[in-house]
Amino acid sequence: MDINLIQEKIENELAGVISPQALEEVRVKYLGRKGLIAELTGSIPMLPIDKRGGFGKEVNALKIKVLNLIEEKERSLKNQDSAAKKNNIDIGMPGIAQGPGSLHPITHIIDEICTIFNRMGFSVLEGPEVETEYNNFTGLNIPLDHPSRDAFDTFYLKKYAKSLLRSHTSPVQVRAMKTAKPPLAIIVPGRVYRPDAVDASHLFMFHQIEGILVDRNIKFSDLKGTLEMFTKNVFGKDIKMRFRPHFFPFTEPSAEVDISCIICCGKGCSVCGRKGWLEILGAGMIHPNVFKHVGYDAKKYTGFAFGMGIERIAMLKYGINDIRLFFENDLRFLKQF
Amino acid sequence: MKITYNWLKDFIDLKVPPFELAEKLTMAGLEVVSLKESGEDFIFEIEITSNRPDWLSIEGIAREVSAICGGTLKTKTPKELKFKNKGILSVPLLVSNKKDCPFYSGRVICGVKVGPSPGWLKKRLELLGCRSVNNIVDITNYILFELGQPLHAFDLDKIEGPQICVRRAMANEKIITIDGKEQLLDPEILVIADKNKPVAIAGIMGGREAEVAIGTRNILLESAVFNPVLLRRGRQKLGLQSESVYRFERGVSLSGAARASFIASDLILSLASGNPCGYKSLGSFKTADRLINLDPAYVKRVLGGAIPAVKMKQILNKLGLVVKVKAKQILSVKVPDFRQDLKLPVDLVEEIARIYGYEKIAQSTPAVVPQEKLLSKRDITCAIKNLLSGLGLHEVITYSLIDRALLAKTGIKTDSEVVEILNPLSCEQEVLRPSLLPSLIRCVAFNLNQQIDYVNIFEIANVFLARPHSVEEEPVLAIALCGVHSFLSKQGLVKDDINILHLKGILEALFNKLKVKDFNFIPQDDGKISILLGQKQAGFMLELSRQALDSVDIKNRQVVLAEVNLKQLFGCIGFEKKFASLPKYPAITRDISFVIKQDIAVRDLLIAIEEKGAPLLRSARIADYYQGKQIPAGFIGLTVSCVYRLDERTLTEEEVNPLHNTVCSLLEERFGIKLR
Repeated sequence: MDINLIQEKIENELAGVISPQALEEVRVKYLGRKGLIAELTGSIPMLPIDKRGGFGKEVNALKIKVLNLIEEKERSLKNQDSAAKKNNIDIGMPGIAQGPGSLHPITHIIDEICTIFNRMGFSVLEGPEVETEYNNFTGLNIPLDHPSRDAFDTFYLKKYAKSLLRSHTSPVQVRAMKTAKPPLAIIVPGRVYRPDAVDASHLFMFHQIEGILVDRNIKFSDLKGTLEMFTKNVFGKDIKMRFRPHFFPFTEPSAEVDISCIICCGKGCSVCGRKGWLEILGAGMIHPNVFKHVGYDAKKYTGFAFGMGIERIAMLKYGINDIRLFFENDLRFLKQF
Repeated sequence: MKITYNWLKDFIDLKVPPFELAEKLTMAGLEVVSLKESGEDFIFEIEITSNRPDWLSIEGIAREVSAICGGTLKTKTPKELKFKNKGILSVPLLVSNKKDCPFYSGRVICGVKVGPSPGWLKKRLELLGCRSVNNIVDITNYILFELGQPLHAFDLDKIEGPQICVRRAMANEKIITIDGKEQLLDPEILVIADKNKPVAIAGIMGGREAEVAIGTRNILLESAVFNPVLLRRGRQKLGLQSESVYRFERGVSLSGAARASFIASDLILSLASGNPCGYKSLGSFKTADRLINLDPAYVKRVLGGAIPAVKMKQILNKLGLVVKVKAKQILSVKVPDFRQDLKLPVDLVEEIARIYGYEKIAQSTPAVVPQEKLLSKRDITCAIKNLLSGLGLHEVITYSLIDRALLAKTGIKTDSEVVEILNPLSCEQEVLRPSLLPSLIRCVAFNLNQQIDYVNIFEIANVFLARPHSVEEEPVLAIALCGVHSFLSKQGLVKDDINILHLKGILEALFNKLKVKDFNFIPQDDGKISILLGQKQAGFMLELSRQALDSVDIKNRQVVLAEVNLKQLFGCIGFEKKFASLPKYPAITRDISFVIKQDIAVRDLLIAIEEKGAPLLRSARIADYYQGKQIPAGFIGLTVSCVYRLDERTLTEEEVNPLHNTVCSLLEERFGIKLR
């Protein structure tokens, strides 16, 4: 039998194969235990001795050739297969999955700020929202009958004398210092309340985050360095920061901290009121009177404190122009975060 | 506080142009919020912090400018005028309590000609937004702005007696103030009275009757210092505000009061003629000097920079403080009485830092000693939030204050009284919420109104419970689901009407992820479903009643809600992760498909199967349920999948089959199932 003819026949047959089943049939027909090639090999001993060697080689070559051809066909069938599937499903159709949920933008900002300070070694601490007049004011060196209190309009509770809704997160400072000795490095996020009429930039409930660091040798320069690190982390490394003297009863010296306007980069626009700067937080060295109230030795320790409004940071960072959106909870708003 | 550039020039030779000055003032703590050009002058509007009453005057700001920009302060020295301490024209004076009024002085000027002010005076006042009245009143206002001392001029002929008494008002006493409004007074309010009645509310506002007007011939010029707290409470009570009380509240200096009286009299004599006559004063305007010792090393300890001691001394001097250098470089600083805010060495540190420039203080990085860190409640809360958002929910934040009506409307009952707010601005701030659910219901209604047809939200916040002596704050998780959840599947769009099982599914996923070992959902008599954590009730699920839905305008929709106490949940979380070895031998699974009466609780059924199949039965779970054509009404088709397995070896069918058969017969006998 002419080996070349057989090879040609097999090639033709394989060309017609379009399914894995048909390919398997061809494989069995030629390479199977009782297949043609096995038959040919079996016929070798029946040949004259001088022809056996040559024919054996030819059969072997054929076997390898056929194996390769089948393997090749198998591959091409597989490719065809997936190509066919591709044609079956339009990948432009929507994917099948449950839609993702979302966290509130305020949560995102709090998490981001906490993470930055966690990395610097600060721990997160939370305090109650119903506070005493002492922790909210007196302990923080805010006299009850002084204009410095005007900045802290406060909700009081009926039936509970001297109980109020904290108007800032600073009472947690007092609580923390009363329960722990320095060194103290904490960051305090939370809800705060002030009886303000609601408009695009005021609410009667909002969020603050507060940080304090107390130890031997904590300096105003450390406060500057820490807040520089913070502002660059939140707003990007090109942001500029400036410290402006200010007054807070619980810090001395006190400062308000501005960052270069993130909209106009300091050139002056409507967001920054043409000033080129945006006020983002208040800070200072903890007042010795506050230390006195909590029983810290002001001769031994110094410390800094800073605090900011979360909504303000979120509005600047996300470009939100109306503070009321935060608590309206429109899903179309929430899903953007 | 408004000042003008030209007025400032009366006190200091200004070399810096207005815009640069504004920048410098801002960076020294006098934040210039606006700067406007007006004619040949510039108006600065400055935000003055409440600790600096001395900045509520042109002179005070000029002093600051001399420290920031250099230049010598030109203070005004009063001319010696001849007022007589005795004689017929001095008015008898009585101060009933020195604490209410530490200093009071009255100067009588006779024969004044009341008329319009000269142009320059009118213009200066108008630039500051102060309306011109007449020369006498304008002069008192002028001195108020220039020196920061509030003054008041009375028409002496309208003061009965004539005599002046500084006293508390009597109950129900009344006065008509210069704004034409009648004020009802009480003993908490300090007044200036004549023989019979109040003629002014001390330090707050004058009375209309003794007002200086055209035709007034003789005046009494008052310059005094009143108790700041008393005046503050008084003006809050009366709801009044004035330039005078604004300054008194923040603190007016005694020496300033005496000086301003002279300077104002001088101006009156030159602009409205008249003669200086009687003079009476009570209380001393002299105060003891306050000395503060400042160690330059302390300044360095607080600020971190290295400011030379000479520079410190120079800054303090420029601010009007007298500095002497004592042994070991300690600075002994004498504080004038217009700087009541300077009490401690650290106050001087701020003054030095402020004028030296915060921007010149270098930055450093503190060495923070990290605290021992345990897994905090906040970390768990974050984990819960992330799990829920991973399950497709959206976090909301709603107000902790709500209106009582909302509580009633939504029918959410709590076991305690609500905590009421004493001073709400509106009814939306009436009470602290005892549950998050009313707020979430409102939030669902709001979103449905925005044509959103699937609302799935959660919130984690505190609820507030009224206890006998304190308010209890409890962290709570609340979830609300509503509407039709439409999603694509392989078969196409599926529209899934939300019911309470969706909510249960979310809670199960959450509890399982948090490794809560023992949780259960048990129906209560009131239709709610208790959520049990470790056998204790830790919350509930409910479907909102039709009535409640109507009250918040939710139509054709179901709302399902859950509230879980987080304190209790925290207590049930399995924090320790322990590995359980994987099964070595295969399990045998047998499904039972049957029809059962609908009123039989699936939970009871599963418990019975588990009991019967133990210990070979490892789990029994509902694999399918069906209600429809092939199932008679009142029945449900169920498939329970039972998994049998042994840890030691492979189970044989011969062991499982008889056991499984007893399970099936149990179901037939006890629950009346019909195998399909």
